[in-house]
Amino acid sequence: MPEDKKEILEALKNAVIQYDEDASKEAAQKALDSGMDVNDAIFNGLVTGMEEVGRLFETQEYFVPELLMCADALYAGLDLLKPHAKQLDLGVKGSVVIGTVEGDVHDIGKNIVKMMFDVAGFTVYDLGRDVPLNKFVEEQMKTDSDLVCLSAMMTTTMVGMKKVIEDMKAKNPNVKIMIGGAPVSQDIADKWGADGYAKDANNALKDAINMVSSLKKMKENAEAKKV
Amino acid sequence: MTDLLEEEILKSGASVVGFANVKEILDDEIAHLDRAVSLGVDRNLNEDTIRILGSLQKKTSHYLKKKGYRYLCIPPDSDRIKDTFVSKLYPLFTHKIAATSAGIGWIGRNGLLINPVYGPRISLATVLTNAPLNVGTPIEFSQCGDCRMCLEFCPSKAITGKDWSRKEPFVELVNLDNCSSYKKNSKSINGKPNCGLCISICPYGRRNLKDNSDQSRVNA
Repeated sequence: MPEDKKEILEALKNAVIQYDEDASKEAAQKALDSGMDVNDAIFNGLVTGMEEVGRLFETQEYFVPELLMCADALYAGLDLLKPHAKQLDLGVKGSVVIGTVEGDVHDIGKNIVKMMFDVAGFTVYDLGRDVPLNKFVEEQMKTDSDLVCLSAMMTTTMVGMKKVIEDMKAKNPNVKIMIGGAPVSQDIADKWGADGYAKDANNALKDAINMVSSLKKMKENAEAKKV
Repeated sequence: MTDLLEEEILKSGASVVGFANVKEILDDEIAHLDRAVSLGVDRNLNEDTIRILGSLQKKTSHYLKKKGYRYLCIPPDSDRIKDTFVSKLYPLFTHKIAATSAGIGWIGRNGLLINPVYGPRISLATVLTNAPLNVGTPIEFSQCGDCRMCLEFCPSKAITGKDWSRKEPFVELVNLDNCSSYKKNSKSINGKPNCGLCISICPYGRRNLKDNSDQSRVNA
């Protein structure tokens, strides 16, 4: 029933773009009932919709409230689909520590990035907001995560990232660090020695996948050398 | 469009509805939604009330969406599910501002929205939108007059007796420490956190309440 499938994907996508939670649930239920590939429904339905939302946000067609309602609509569908999803195989299975740095309570952006990781099947350790700087290093050591994501909304709290990056690199040079938030730029990321800078949630996910796969390769090479 | 929407909302069970221009007071994140639809029902705030207000908000937002406008529903204060993304925006806006700007009522000495017909006995919800709705006339001053009943009956002496006006929105009408410590106290004694004397004593709308109960007796 390829026609059905197409319709359901379209319905999922539109539910997210139209920030309609009920429609999102309904379409997700239809996807389950139809027996279609659940991962297909998530990635070619919900996430495709969110990508379009990201574009609408960038072109200032959508503003923060719409963006947030879209994210809620995505989760409404995702909550139904996720228990039935196969373990995703994106080539990488990464784990990530994420949080908004000390002094900063703005976590909307961080939550949206977290959502993208969730959807992509990453294991996410969310430290929340206003996270003491040493907590990032501790959590990374504890969970042996591949990636650490730092977020800040204010120039005053942004400087905390620098310290986290230094400490983290001193303890574990192999971990990848990505930073983001309104005052952050590629320049700052380069200057402070972060491995990545993400302008928005879509880019964060793409970069994260690249970073984790390069990290895995590095580890494999190291193993190979040992043998 | 405004009249049609108003009719629709009232038909769906709202006691009062008003429209306001709230451009001046919005934070940047929601600055594009400069009209507020203020919805009220003359009920205590309980689960049923929240359900009714929720369905009124849904009606309103569907109507606006069909016409191609944006909206943001701000749910009743006690129904702010914390784990959604959009709930981060709820603290940016208060229902009372929408209601006073829409001309539904004023803020009484007890710090509550007072409607001439229902008094403080209404529960509120708001829908923000960018639809160019015709707006009501804002109420500028308290119309409590010389009445000080809530002040005299308040068991925690929390009501300061000052007058509200739109020009001084941050005047302390109620000492929240007194009020909440009294409520905490009464909860430990009788298990109920609610006091609500300042609501039940308010003469505005009390007659209406009585009429209603007479009416229901007749119907029964």
